[in-house]
Amino acid sequence: MQTTMERMAPNAASPAFGDGTRANRLKTTKQGGKLVNDYWSDLFAAKDDGRKVIWYNGTYIPPFFHAHDVAWVHGEAWAAYLAAKHGELPAQAAGELRGYDRELCSYARTHIGQALIDLRDLKEGKLGIAPDDPRALTMAKLPPPDMLINAYPYCSSGQQWDEITYRLFGKRIPIFNVSIPLLWGGRPDAAYLRGEEWNERSQYVAKQLRAMCAFMEEHTGRKYDWDRLSEVMGFVKKAATLRMEAMELCTARPAPASFFDWIVSIAHVNFLPGTQSIVDYFQAVKDEIQQRVANGEGAVRREKYRLFFDGMMNWNKVGWLADKFASVGATVVAGRYTHMSFWQEPELVDLRDPVLGMAQNYLICPNNHGAPIMIGEINKLCDKFEIDGMVMHASRTCRGMTNSQFLIADSAKRHSRQALFFEGDVADESFYKDEMLNTRLEAMIETMDARRRAA
Amino acid sequence: MNEILAAFEQAAMRPLAYAREYKRAHGSRVIGIFPMHFPGELAHAAGALPIVIQEDQEPITVGLGSLFSFYCGYNRSVVDQALRGEFEFLDAIMFGDHCVQLLGTADILRDRAPKPPILFNQLITSLSAPWAEEETRKAFAQLWKELEALVGHAISAEDAHVSIRLFNRNRALIRQIYQMRREGRISISGRSLQLIVKSSMTMEASAHCALLEAFLAGIEMRSPTPRGVRVYLSGHLCQAPKPEILDLIEECGGIVADDDLYHGYRFVATDIDETGDPLDAFARWHLERNRRVPCPTVSDEKADWDQFLLGAVARARARGLIILQVKYCEPHMFFYPEIKETFERAGVPHLLIETEHEQMPMEALKTRLETFMEIVKRKAAA
Repeated sequence: MQTTMERMAPNAASPAFGDGTRANRLKTTKQGGKLVNDYWSDLFAAKDDGRKVIWYNGTYIPPFFHAHDVAWVHGEAWAAYLAAKHGELPAQAAGELRGYDRELCSYARTHIGQALIDLRDLKEGKLGIAPDDPRALTMAKLPPPDMLINAYPYCSSGQQWDEITYRLFGKRIPIFNVSIPLLWGGRPDAAYLRGEEWNERSQYVAKQLRAMCAFMEEHTGRKYDWDRLSEVMGFVKKAATLRMEAMELCTARPAPASFFDWIVSIAHVNFLPGTQSIVDYFQAVKDEIQQRVANGEGAVRREKYRLFFDGMMNWNKVGWLADKFASVGATVVAGRYTHMSFWQEPELVDLRDPVLGMAQNYLICPNNHGAPIMIGEINKLCDKFEIDGMVMHASRTCRGMTNSQFLIADSAKRHSRQALFFEGDVADESFYKDEMLNTRLEAMIETMDARRRAA
Repeated sequence: MNEILAAFEQAAMRPLAYAREYKRAHGSRVIGIFPMHFPGELAHAAGALPIVIQEDQEPITVGLGSLFSFYCGYNRSVVDQALRGEFEFLDAIMFGDHCVQLLGTADILRDRAPKPPILFNQLITSLSAPWAEEETRKAFAQLWKELEALVGHAISAEDAHVSIRLFNRNRALIRQIYQMRREGRISISGRSLQLIVKSSMTMEASAHCALLEAFLAGIEMRSPTPRGVRVYLSGHLCQAPKPEILDLIEECGGIVADDDLYHGYRFVATDIDETGDPLDAFARWHLERNRRVPCPTVSDEKADWDQFLLGAVARARARGLIILQVKYCEPHMFFYPEIKETFERAGVPHLLIETEHEQMPMEALKTRLETFMEIVKRKAAA
């Protein structure tokens, strides 16, 4: 069955939209694609190597796994991987067949649906999709879990998703939940990285992370190597620092890289192993960006407007959206998902004892602050990158990211920034309505043009 | 009896009007509680009237400017009520549930309807964690402190014990009605029982107990018609099912034998220890109530909602299960397939009804219910 994407020209914006200019993507992100493929290949071989496999969901805890020499599968990443390869439909259909409503998180539906297919295949000794389908080989390779770990900030559905996975495997796979409570920010001393609530929650999450390592020790029969964690985190911290420095360079006009370049670089700071490879990758990204700044080369060739992307990514529309915005001369320079997450405060991590700083980075994921502090941080980014307008992706089944979007849009308007909403989803293409985005984007561009003319 | 039911109805169907009047008449503070896991006892011990904030029956209008249409009816209604100024008379709202939609709602209220303040203390949802009880205790201790600051005086352990005893009594009285209904000794409509439970979420607890005692003294011992189909109602977390749906189930030949609704048995199933440190008691209650009636909003290795339901249906001698699922309620949607499969394996008929704040086509629902009742009857006759 063809997806919408396949029926239309791949990687092109709507032919009826804009001037046809394509996004000028960073060349180095192609290298990044190889690292991601290497990760999946390594994962698929985990059982052959005798490694235990952890399925986890939520925040970027793989350094803990890496330091303990176990393999890991991030459920969201697996769902996004399938969606990016347009292989999510069989998994979602399997989920729907069991009764999962399509209003449920599409990451969860895809992940659970694929697990249902795998379990059925295991039972019946056959694949759920045509054996000659190139997707079949990949899907059949995902190793089943030896442990389940949930560490989901903010989103209750994230925890329930792993609870269902746990039950799907007959409650026989040991599970560990790390609770990462919301930083509501209601106490008088509450501020970004400050206050009694911040300190209490940081200690609470750190305590649970140490217990999580004891859980791994129990189920692998091996002692946890804390020095190794510091070593792994050394690479992660360095990569994260380079990433933040490279992002800072995008204050230049035209912006040398876009939100979409950062989107395709998420895996590297989210779930790839903490090795020299990710440091090299972000060094290369930074170098290319520096060169672009020196050359005056932008991610969009004729940058007229600078936008901020709010919301979760629409994973089966990355290239499509990159080109769409480029075709109207708009660079999406920054985003909540990319710029307010994934080790965005690397200096909090003390390599002599990294756990507390890791816990703190997990606590500040892009939606785990109450709205006042979160919107304050968004506004700081918008000021820094001189943003003209906000693109609000109302991701239908990711309510964790849609929760405060009306408040964010209001705040943007108070700061004289335009805002548009468009509907879509993280991994369910059926919620995306291209023509609605076209109309709204055209309207926003016209309004911004009019404002400039009037200024 | 009609007068007593009318009093229940007054508080259940117009809870904010009841609370406003109570505040005016008694000069008491009124504290709202978001469902489903916060004990009203704490607010009561602080000298306030605790009320569970309810979905109202008004169409959503101004609320849709702040919240997307793909949020559950409860959240949309709460935002709408807040923006209409309905909660301004409240002195505070207590909140600690981990529901991603409700977290968003709380932020909207804080921004757009900042009076009353929200006392936010998130309760742990990983109930199997070794630190679950300790963390729950901490959350309640913080709330205790914040309530003291709000009311301007200390809340003693004895204050808490008095409130716990009163609320336990209230729950026990309602459980008596449940027990009689389960055993087929009384005939009480789903609507009436909902009014009783829902009014207990608003009405001053002593007054509610007095009404319950009068109700129990006067209730007629009369079995429901033997021709009816005994069914069990499950689901509908946070918000009450529309009474019209309960009426329709009965009009189609159903007799509700028992339920695990939040506006039903779930709300009254578990008491709080009346002795010892009240904070310890509140913490144990939070963990214990999920073992009594499992809730899909928490993670608990020791609880199985599907197995609980299978047992509960058998204990109630019900012949079928009717699942009332609120549209966009994610925890319920996650667990529904498991319940469905369990009941299919056990050969117990079940029916899923998805409910919405607006747009409930009752005629279509009637056809489905009639068909379900026929299926149950034929299965019983086979």
